[in-house]
Parts: sequence; C-alpha cells; structure tokens
Amino acid sequence: MKSKTLNRRHFMQGSGILASSSLLRLSVPAILAAAQTACSARDEDAAFVTLTASEAVELEAIAARILPTTDTPGAREAGVIYFMDNVLGEKFSEMLPSVRSSLAEFQEGIADRFEGALKFSDLSEADQDVWIGVNETMQFFSVAKTLTLWGFFAMSSYGGNKDNMAWDLIDFDGPGAAQPPFGYYDAQYMEEQSNGN
Amino acid sequence: MAIENKVVYPLDEAVDFVVIGSGSAGGIIAKELSTNGFSVVVLEQGPFREAKDFTHDELDVNVDDSIGGGRAADNIQTFRDDESKVAKVKPGRNPARYYEGVGGASVHFTANFWRFREIDFKERSAVGSIEGTNFADWPITYGELEPYYTKVDWDIGVSGAPGPFDSPRSKPFPMPPIPIKSSGVLLKKGAEAIGLTPQAAPLAILSQPHNGRPGCINCGYCLGYGCEVGAKSSTLAAMIPHAIASGNCEIRAGCAVYKLETGADGKISEVQYLDSNGNQRSQKARAAVLSANGAETPRLLLLSESSRYPDGLANSSGFVGKNLMMNAHTNVQAVFEHQLNDYKGVQVTQIVHDHLYESDPTRGYYGGGGFTARPLMSATPIWYSLAGQRPDGPQWGAEFKDRLAHNFTRQMAVVASGTNLPLDRNNITIDPTHKDKYGRPSLRMTYREHQDDIANVAYMQGFAEQMMEAAGAVEQWSSPAKSGTGGGHLLGTCRMGDDPETSVVDRYHRSHDVSNLFICDGSSLVSSGRGQPTMTIMALAFRAAEHITAAANNNEI
Repeated sequence: MKSKTLNRRHFMQGSGILASSSLLRLSVPAILAAAQTACSARDEDAAFVTLTASEAVELEAIAARILPTTDTPGAREAGVIYFMDNVLGEKFSEMLPSVRSSLAEFQEGIADRFEGALKFSDLSEADQDVWIGVNETMQFFSVAKTLTLWGFFAMSSYGGNKDNMAWDLIDFDGPGAAQPPFGYYDAQYMEEQSNGN
Repeated sequence: MAIENKVVYPLDEAVDFVVIGSGSAGGIIAKELSTNGFSVVVLEQGPFREAKDFTHDELDVNVDDSIGGGRAADNIQTFRDDESKVAKVKPGRNPARYYEGVGGASVHFTANFWRFREIDFKERSAVGSIEGTNFADWPITYGELEPYYTKVDWDIGVSGAPGPFDSPRSKPFPMPPIPIKSSGVLLKKGAEAIGLTPQAAPLAILSQPHNGRPGCINCGYCLGYGCEVGAKSSTLAAMIPHAIASGNCEIRAGCAVYKLETGADGKISEVQYLDSNGNQRSQKARAAVLSANGAETPRLLLLSESSRYPDGLANSSGFVGKNLMMNAHTNVQAVFEHQLNDYKGVQVTQIVHDHLYESDPTRGYYGGGGFTARPLMSATPIWYSLAGQRPDGPQWGAEFKDRLAHNFTRQMAVVASGTNLPLDRNNITIDPTHKDKYGRPSLRMTYREHQDDIANVAYMQGFAEQMMEAAGAVEQWSSPAKSGTGGGHLLGTCRMGDDPETSVVDRYHRSHDVSNLFICDGSSLVSSGRGQPTMTIMALAFRAAEHITAAANNNEI
C-alpha cells in the first residue's frame, strides 16, 4: 500500500507557510500573489485562467473544509482549485455564472456574524465549519461539494488529483488490468477451494 | 472511423432493409440480414466509436455522459410521474438513458445476461389477471426462444454456469463464469446462511478468448463504459464487424431519423434523417426494421404520424409508447472489515434467484426478482464519493474524508431488481414544448411504478439486508424502495402479441398495421422479466432476423 501521509513539502504548502517566499518572487499585485500562493498546491507560479484570484481563495477555502488537510492530504494538496479553474472555463463552463453569483451569496452575512471578517477565508477553520453548518442546505454548498469531489477524484489531467494523491488516499490503483484475487474475501475463498474445503 | 464501410448505397434506390438503431437488437438484425445477402443500411444517431476510442475518464463518461445522449441540458427529454402534470426537464441525466452510438446500450451495459424463465412467458395465465394493468402472456414460449438464447450464448459470447433454477438449455455455456470476486463470495456466504441458493452470474463478458475476441482483463470499467479490449459482448464487438465484412451492410453513424415515410399503399417507402452534418436525407427502402430502443422506437412511430396514420405509425392499437417498464430496483450498501477491492473486475460474479424469482400470492402482491452482488457505486471514485455514502453519515469534513478513504475498498452493494406491471399510465409520448438537440420534438416519459412493483423490491430488500448481516457486514444501510424516475431498461412500449387490438407487433415482430415494418428491441417485451432484459432482447433479435429473412425470401414483405 502506498503512503497516505502527507510529505512535509505538501503539508507546508497547504498550510501557507511558503507564502512569504512566493510573495517575494511574484511581480504581480500583492492580492493576486497572495491568492495564488494560498492556492499553491499544484504550481506556485500558475495563474488562474477562469476564476479571479479572490474567487479562487474562497472556493479553495470551502473545498478545504469539505476535504480538509489532516494527516492525509485534502482538497488543497490535491489542487482541487486548479480543477475548478479548468472545468469552469471549459468542460462545465455553463456552471460558472451561477457558481460566481452564489459564491457571493454564500458569504452574505459573514460580516454580521463574525467581527472583523468579510469573506469566508477570513474565518478561522472552526468558524468556517460553523458557517458551512449553517448554510449546508444551500444549493451553492452542494455545487461546491460536487466540484470539490470531481476535482479531487477526476483524472489528474483535469488539474486536480495531483500525482493521483486522491486515488492513493482511498487505495484505488487507478484504471488498468488486474488479476484475481483482488481482495481479502476472494483470496480466502480461492485458498479454501484449493485446499479442498 | 477505422472500420470502413465496404458498400455505399445511393439514397434514391431502395435497399432491402433500413435498420434504425445499431444496438442490442439492431446490431444483430443488421448482421443477420446482411450476411444472408440482403442490402442493408443502418442508421445510427450516435457516432461510430470503436474499442480504442473508449476511456476510463470518469468525469467525461460518468459525469458528463459523453457516450450517452449527453447531459439533459444538451439533449432534452422531459419527465413527470403523472399524466396530470406538466413534464419537466430533469437536472443531470435524462430519464431514458442509453448509449448513443454504434452498438447501442450493449456498449455501456453491465452485461448481466439472465435468460428469462419459462414462467416469464406465461405468467398471466399462472397468476391471473391484475386489475388496472395490461398484464399479459407472451405469444411465444421459452421453448420457442431457447434456440436463440443459445445462439446469443455462442455468437455474442456469454460466460456462466447453469444454475439450479434456470430453465432448460440445449447447449452448455461456451465458456466458464468469470472468477468469483469478494462481493460474490460475501453474497454467497450470506445467501447460504439464510437458506438461499446463490449461483454464478451469467455475463456477456468473455472469461476467455472467444470468436477471435480477447478475454476480460478485469479493468473494472464495465458499468456505463465501453470496453477497451472488446471483451464485453456488445453488438459493436460481436456483430457489427461481421455485418460490414459481408459487403452488404452500410453503417451510417451520426444519422438521426426523424420520420418513417409511407407511400400510397400505406407501406414504408423511405426513412428520413439528419446526417452527421445536419442535412436532411431520405433513404428509400423496401422494408424497415425499427430497433431504436424502448423509448426512441415509440417516439419515432409517434413522430411519423400522417393523415393516414393520425395517431402515429403502427398505432391502431393505441399501445405505441404505453406499458413502459424499467425494472423496479433497490440496493443495500454494506461495509466489511477487510478490503474487497471490488472496483477491479466485472461488476457481478454471483446472483441469487431462488424462490424469490417467482411471484407468490401469499406475499400479497404480484412480483418477483433477483439479486446481484457488485461494487455498484464503489466501482469508481467520483460516483462513490457523491452517491455511495450513507445519508445519515458525515457529508463533509475530516470524518467524511476518512470514511471515503477507509470504505472505498471495503464497500459493496446488493441490488434487488424485479418486475414491473405494464400500465397505460407509464408511457413515452411526444413533449408538446421541448425539442431535442436534433430539433425533433422531445421524448416525454411519464412513469410511476405500480404499488406491487415497489412492494416486491421492498420485500427483497429485507432479504438483501439479511444476507449482508449474515455475511458479516460491519455496517449497512439502504433507502426505502421507491418508484424509479428513469433508467436504461426501456421495455414494453411496442409489445408483441397475436391480437392487433392489444399489441403493436405480431409474434414475428411485424407491425400489425404496416406490413413492411418490423419492430424489435426492448419495446417488444410483453413482461418485464426480473431485471436483466438484454439477453432476451438479443434472443428476440436473432429470432426476428430469421423470420424476416424467410419472409423476404418468400416475397412476403
């Protein structure tokens, strides 16, 4: 079985510790640079094509609560936001307008409830979970969850599932030929049969 | 398209047969008629993909439905559960689901290949009439169809072993069953523990090389995917190459038929379609075979209305589109201690029929069915993550992720599938408002299963739960059985029968009304069977082709 545990580099990227060094390298407006480095799992220098930098920050923050980074990788490390940027611009581009407008709607009321916060990403992880809990039945959350899971598990050519880390997480070997026995129970059965039981 | 047609027929010279649809029935009939020496044009609305064109791209195939008719938004059908309502476009998938392309649904099906049993053909006589339904016997028996089931076994390619409850077969399976998977072992264990007898699953997937095609490589992408090696016994793999090789069959892919035109004599004279460039074309023909599937076949007949046939072609009975049956089903999800890795290999290796196959009046309803053990949703990651989770469990967050990680390889399903009663209210009609991507008036499905259909699968679900419990599941869940709102089993909508007042085609699939029109596909079925109809559709197609050939040779068309 492959290791499910994050390596140190992935973990540090996910937690944003590398942000400061990236900031210095990027000769773009600070807000964009910050957004990009916050979404740095895939490629620290990659620019977003479809999403604005601030949309990407919020969507990634939401995805990271759906599939959080723990001792195993989550949406951030798998580069789910790059998947979203890709498919919302191409394969599922018809979803973009509603994702865009409902993302804004989803965040309405954050400022009233949490002092000093304007956006979802301003909240602590604990408060983010509280906010999702309150808004879990919103259509937007269902769309965000769907996009997150698509991005986590789709072939990495779509931009997420970096290095097949989502497949490794669930012990999915990926598409390909296989030889039985595949699992515990068929192996046990074959052994019993060959022993004449 | 690497397989080039060897013959191209002019539009304005009548070919012997136009076959509409190249799927489970159309692919067989095209092959049989063309190798019997008739000139055949096959009109298939989808593209001509080959084995090399199929992928394991779940986002594209499963989510975007790239090999089906596409997302509902792109190719509108409508649905309602009652005729009093205005039918609506469903989000996501269309209600009538099929593979759109050469080979039809036999390309993407799961390949469960149960024969019907003797009782399926004469159940109305055995059970009695059921008020408010069109429940009827077939005009043919199992014995009459058996030689053609055997032909499917050998010519199409079916793996399996005889089961204790099967009706008699005249010849053994051509190849042994696919080796049992963990889901099969667990179903077997659970079934035996509660006194039911499991059996090896008959599958239209080659367990070893057969007829020049390779055996299964266990990639696991069967349900909803095209087979990349040609081991799945689609008509694309097993029939179409022979049809083309005959030199008598031209496959025209990307050609969407919109009307069957009749001449002054009331017979089919030509078939009108849009070619792959969207141009209107019309192919003259001496006869037509309509095999577009149980949803598209009645739609085409209804679209082919004329002053002579104001209620649609071949519809003097009023039964075109009626009696839609999609096989009621339900499933139980179960998680086990150890890894099954059931995403590898074919979906199903063990089934249970036993006494639950037959209807039993002591249960208080009509119906019967069977069980399959399979990964179902845990076959592929995206589907699993979105649909394979218990509804009362965590839906996001660390615990959700941990469950995905732990259970994907440990989860399986037992699917209970069963009968549907044929009803007037369950039907395919033409939507008055919407149009599909070709500009044809949209298909409208109206469907709400009979209470007995639901009662049957609900009863079966209890057995599925007992089996999983007895097999040692550490966790299991299911949702209450409820009516289907769409599916790929599209049955009964142009049923066969001897009486022109209560059926659309005769026992040889000839329209009662239009003598040079033959209709053969899922629409021909009189009853639903127990959940796996394609084997019977294919057997009917071989039988139909034999009778059509004889009629043509005798100048009786």
